[in-house]
Amino acid sequence: MTKQGSTMKLTTVSILAGFAFLMQYLNFPLPMFPPFLKVDFSELPALVAGLMFGPLAGVLVEFLKNLLHYLFSGSDTGIPIGQLANFVAGSIFVVTTVLITRKLQGIKGLVTGLTVATILMAVIMSIANYWVILPAYAFLIHWEVVGPAKTSLVLYGIGPFNLVKGVLTALLFIPLYQRLKGRIHLPKIS
Amino acid sequence: MSPLSAPVLGQYVPGDSILHRLDPRTKIVVIFVYMLIVFLANNGITYGLLIVTTSVGVFLSGVPILMILRGLKPVFILIAFTACLHLFFTKGGEVLFSMGPITIEEKGVMQAGWISLRFMLLVVTGMLLTLTTSSIDLTDGMERLLTPLRRVGVPAHELALMMSISLRFIPTLWEETNKIMKAQQARGADFESGSIFKRLKSFIPVLIPLFVSAFRRAEELALAMEARGYRGGQGRTRLRKLTFTGNDSIAFILLFLLVIGLIGLRSQ
Repeated sequence: MTKQGSTMKLTTVSILAGFAFLMQYLNFPLPMFPPFLKVDFSELPALVAGLMFGPLAGVLVEFLKNLLHYLFSGSDTGIPIGQLANFVAGSIFVVTTVLITRKLQGIKGLVTGLTVATILMAVIMSIANYWVILPAYAFLIHWEVVGPAKTSLVLYGIGPFNLVKGVLTALLFIPLYQRLKGRIHLPKIS
Repeated sequence: MSPLSAPVLGQYVPGDSILHRLDPRTKIVVIFVYMLIVFLANNGITYGLLIVTTSVGVFLSGVPILMILRGLKPVFILIAFTACLHLFFTKGGEVLFSMGPITIEEKGVMQAGWISLRFMLLVVTGMLLTLTTSSIDLTDGMERLLTPLRRVGVPAHELALMMSISLRFIPTLWEETNKIMKAQQARGADFESGSIFKRLKSFIPVLIPLFVSAFRRAEELALAMEARGYRGGQGRTRLRKLTFTGNDSIAFILLFLLVIGLIGLRSQ
């Protein structure tokens, strides 16, 4: 790509990150889940960026979104554990979807990608929560969640939550993609 | 999801206090280190030291105390929850209060107090950074701090520029979201009722024009930047330059002394 392409990429990713920040701001808790697990659709702009410019652009959107969120909405604990978790989850979701969609062309690829990404995100986030994120919170509040309580929080809370979040995002993204296809796959400027 | 209230972007309070005038790089580093050393405190003297330094910081910032307290509000639930957890379930020491199976013991009270204090210290210090530093200074400071990492491939200039662009466009996108939602509502769209799937579906006609407009804005901005000769960070000149002053050195010396003091005074 020429210089023009790269400035375009820079501005597009930035504006999509701002968009993602807004979407994250409009979060809502799901019924039946603990209140710190909130659904938002901020993965949509990241998916668009990823499909336009490659997986790294998607990760960049996730990174900027969480950085902005930490700096300007503040963290509940002063330490960005929630933002880090969101960054990891979002990046896994976007990178998986983009890679699979690029391999298997067309809508079939996208659906496969979103499905695999949702499952992968739920599995990895469950593991990460069990071994890293919950212990980090525990260190912060000096209170260890252990044994069956921890297992059930991961099994009935974090795992299903990420599945639901992935499915909802996918349900919104598929029709969105079909309408925006023409813009997302612009002929490369060379 | 609606009615929509505008997102609060930072809480910068313009002013001319010592904290406002410190170099943003100094503030970022000092506050980052400060948030780490809060975890060193584990007894009365060390927590006392941190309370004094944080209070002095708040005082020097010239930010009204009420604003700080308002910032603590969202954390309050978490603090209260943690405090209760420790109050009722951490055991040890003298029994201070007992009623049936519930007992409150000395160690629980202490833990509840320390943890609440730690939370408040972390949140207040974090707030001091964003209260006294404008977003331009903040991104500038981060860019300069990251510049040494260029050699390992961190695109410091691009990241800072992207952050500024995102910040600049959040209010614009927000306005647009509201406008499009109202336009669709005028055409009979309903975002409030129906099952979750129906509601999701009603958001698609809002998201599509939003994305299209985001693409258009990005294109126009790229064109405008290039028309003015933007070609990456190499050799770019700046309108505002950051300079260290005596106050910055003092801040670093004080931080160093505080770290030594905390390590010396904490109980092993």
